[in-house]
Amino acid sequence: MVHVIVPNMLAAQAGGRQRFDVAAETVGDALRALPVADLLFNERGELNRFLNVYVDGTDTRERGGPACPLTGAREIRIVAMVAGG
Amino acid sequence: MAIGVLALVGTRKGLFMLRGDDARRTWQAEDPLLNGWGVFHATVDARDGTVYAAANHLVYGPTVQRSSDGGKTWERSKKIGLPAWSGLTVNAAWHIEPGLPQEPETLYLGADPGVLFRSDDRGKTWEPNLGLLEHCTRDRWSPGAGGLCCHSIQVDPGDRQRMYVGITAAGAFRTEDGGQTWMPVNKNVAADFLPDPYPEVGQCVHKLLLHPARPERLWQQNHFGVYRSDNCGDSWERLDGNGLPTSFGYPIMIDPKDPDRAFVIPEEGPEYHYSPDGQLAVYRTRDAGRTWEEISDGLPRPSWAAVLREASAFDADSLYFGTQSGSFFALADGTWVEAARNLPPILSVEVTQWFT
Repeated sequence: MVHVIVPNMLAAQAGGRQRFDVAAETVGDALRALPVADLLFNERGELNRFLNVYVDGTDTRERGGPACPLTGAREIRIVAMVAGG
Repeated sequence: MAIGVLALVGTRKGLFMLRGDDARRTWQAEDPLLNGWGVFHATVDARDGTVYAAANHLVYGPTVQRSSDGGKTWERSKKIGLPAWSGLTVNAAWHIEPGLPQEPETLYLGADPGVLFRSDDRGKTWEPNLGLLEHCTRDRWSPGAGGLCCHSIQVDPGDRQRMYVGITAAGAFRTEDGGQTWMPVNKNVAADFLPDPYPEVGQCVHKLLLHPARPERLWQQNHFGVYRSDNCGDSWERLDGNGLPTSFGYPIMIDPKDPDRAFVIPEEGPEYHYSPDGQLAVYRTRDAGRTWEEISDGLPRPSWAAVLREASAFDADSLYFGTQSGSFFALADGTWVEAARNLPPILSVEVTQWFT
């Protein structure tokens, strides 16, 4: 099982729940198992461009994106990109 | 029993519900709903009281959200999307229009890129309208700064097979067969940014309304002028001048009791989206557009306000609008009341009766 933590706005869309435990082999599978999966992927099944996903602190872009394997992983953290000014 | 007016004010950062008394003078704002979402449009379906919101977010994408308990809890529609063969994806959900009373399960959704969806299960799922998606003129639609938003959806109350849509930088279209085929209805409507200023399509409709008591009469605020059609859009008459300070603006409102009355909120022009000369005002015609008069008592002056295409509303008794500077105004016995201020930038306004 891997522990998934979602941002506040996604938690609000999941009935207030911010943490999930899911069984999955890849990051993509774990994200697709969440009740807010439709807000993470576009209609072509690609991860939304402005989402950062970290596995135990490492950006999954460095490890194959959604295909990143979860062997031995403990935590996935989803972070919406920060911008402004 | 109706005790007042409920305004749904969509903003860049959530949906605010404002409750006004019957006189439209005293208003109370509730804490925001759908926090953080850009609410391009929200409406109450008068047929069953469900609240629908076209809610968009830069990170999480376009959604349709619905609430059957007045906004306490929300449910997302199944993800809206376009067929892969179209090569298009949904950029934003823009406008939700409930169907006629005789089709209680049906709603329509206008979206970017110039597409229309229909739901026959009260908003749980949405199917794209293929007639519009595959329209033979689509390659001549050129998105402007606001994208290719399908923002106006009008169903003829006497003939559910006849509908109209208005799409920015594409024009107005009419169907006579329930959406299977769509005919451009842009005759005499200017598109001064194109080489041919009166093309078949490409006009920048900012908002289009049908008069429910005289459904062959349409009103349109366009990028280039205010227009009226008395023949279901077959031809249009340009109405600006005769009291209007400019021909540019976004919203248009009507009086459901009087087909000759309409209301616009002029702005300086395409390059300057704010009140002309700092004089925020609503302009009213009472003679089908021949003359226009200002309704500005109670509005702040000077004021360089911008009012977006979805940010006005009307009912049988009053008018309402919201500004990008976060003020919401209601007309109370001829005088504007600033019912709320300091909201996030207002994107949309709808009103309904408020019942106990």
